[in-house]
Amino acid sequence: MRLLSLLVAIFLSLPLAAAELAYDLQPRQIAADTWLLEGSTENFAASNGGNIVNVAFIVTEAGVVLIDTGISKRYGEALRAAIGRVTERPIVLVINTHHHPDHVFGNQAFSDVPIASLARTRELLAEQGGAFADNMYRLLGDWMRGTEVLLPGETLEPGVREIGGHRLQLLAFSGHTGADLAIFDQTTGVLFAADLVFYQRALTTPQTPGLDVWLSDLEALEKLPYTLLVPGHGPVATGREPFAQMRDYLGWLDGLLRAAVAEGQDMNEAMRAPIPERFAAISLTRFELIRTVSHLYPKYEAQVFQRVDAGE
Amino acid sequence: MTVRSMGLALGWLLLSSPVWAGDSDPLQSPMWGFHQTRFLGTAPYEFDERVVLTAPPFAEDSRQVPISIDASALGQEVVRIVAWAELNPIAHIFSFFPEGPVAPRIALNIRVEQATPLRAAVLTRDGVWHVGSTRVDAAGGGCTAPSAVRAEAGWEEHLGEIFGARFPAGEGSRLRLRVSHPMDNGLSGGIPEFFIERAELRGAAGQRLASLELHPSVSENPTLTLQLGEADAGQRLWLRDNNGNEFEAAF
Ligand SMILES: [Zn+2]
Repeated sequence: MRLLSLLVAIFLSLPLAAAELAYDLQPRQIAADTWLLEGSTENFAASNGGNIVNVAFIVTEAGVVLIDTGISKRYGEALRAAIGRVTERPIVLVINTHHHPDHVFGNQAFSDVPIASLARTRELLAEQGGAFADNMYRLLGDWMRGTEVLLPGETLEPGVREIGGHRLQLLAFSGHTGADLAIFDQTTGVLFAADLVFYQRALTTPQTPGLDVWLSDLEALEKLPYTLLVPGHGPVATGREPFAQMRDYLGWLDGLLRAAVAEGQDMNEAMRAPIPERFAAISLTRFELIRTVSHLYPKYEAQVFQRVDAGE
Repeated sequence: MTVRSMGLALGWLLLSSPVWAGDSDPLQSPMWGFHQTRFLGTAPYEFDERVVLTAPPFAEDSRQVPISIDASALGQEVVRIVAWAELNPIAHIFSFFPEGPVAPRIALNIRVEQATPLRAAVLTRDGVWHVGSTRVDAAGGGCTAPSAVRAEAGWEEHLGEIFGARFPAGEGSRLRLRVSHPMDNGLSGGIPEFFIERAELRGAAGQRLASLELHPSVSENPTLTLQLGEADAGQRLWLRDNNGNEFEAAF
């Protein structure tokens, strides 16, 4: 009897143990020929499978142009299936906007398609992809199973490229990671800003060459005559609000770090600085402030420190 | 003794002498007892909120985790501060002996090998240790990661360079500095221990104001923040590594 109840218990627990992790990807049309898979504005977590990023695709007459591939092999496969539910046309080009894991780790699902990026993006992914993968396996566990870094095989140059009736303006910037591609579809007026623009989600700084560089990138990007903006993270917008928020937030971060080093604060003091009420709607501000202080504080300190040893 | 009087006696004991009985650990760490015996011996101690040990909740970079200790609520009574990371292969971080105008406050960056409880034990003149605690989450590997300093060509030429400044802080001042040094802990790449093991803050006439014994759980290119009750005290900082190299800075 006892053995039977044990077997029943094991049987009942089986469906749970064997439950497949699955991304529920529902493409949403946001403009003519243009579809979005909007991620959450949370951090990477097992509860969201790392689906925290915006991925978009354009169904051109020549085939599908995909912009970023998501966080895992499993995400890439679900993405490819979701595209297949929208159109029967083949995928003709996959673009990696920058080398961050949430934008490129789905590449394996498109290994039979040309995958393209800026030359520097490929170098950065080759250098840092392994460490990113270790970190993502730690954070996301089984969602990442089978995921390996697949480097883009083609190089994108800035300029206008026409694909299947869409004039795509490729713009190379560097403020977020050192190599950041934005894509302006002149045909539809949609600007894919990738992670140069975070909206309602705190921006991330681990590879930024400097907040000043990022601010000047935004100045150039904002001049484009877009009618719809797709940020790398957060909701799409028709107006200029995401740029206003980015400028405000980057300016605040820069000012906070400058003031903190000028007052002689240590890193923990800067990490605990108050976050202005006007940023209350932006998710993960404290989390990202702690990270940003870790990334950038030594650079800001260098601006107020002087050589004090006798060696000079 | 009746049950009632036993209860009273027990109550009295709990109320009056938690120090002697040994407080219960706010972090409930199984490693507490081991490190308590090692660093505090049989001396009385209490977990004390007046010892503020601050660290970020998670280590963004396990090789550079900022910690700050502020025991100024214990005032002039402080004679020593000992800090350790319970689950590091080299647990001991530093022992700090503030004197005179030097406040019982210090901040620096450390390495962590994994998520770990952190402790700062502050000894007061009456022989009692006051313990502040916190915990830092970490992906880990900070102690065994290859050195970023050694990865840069020509780092030896910069060995011992010190960058820093003095900042006004209330009535007094604060010294902040960074020293170029790999702080090798002997756990990575077959490179033997090579680290700054001693620092002294001195007055203009060379008299010692505070001394600091460092261990290689301190990060490479170590940062240091010290607080002084006077605007210009502590004009000289002297450092020595375990290879006998001496470095000196003037503030
Ligand atoms: Zn990114």
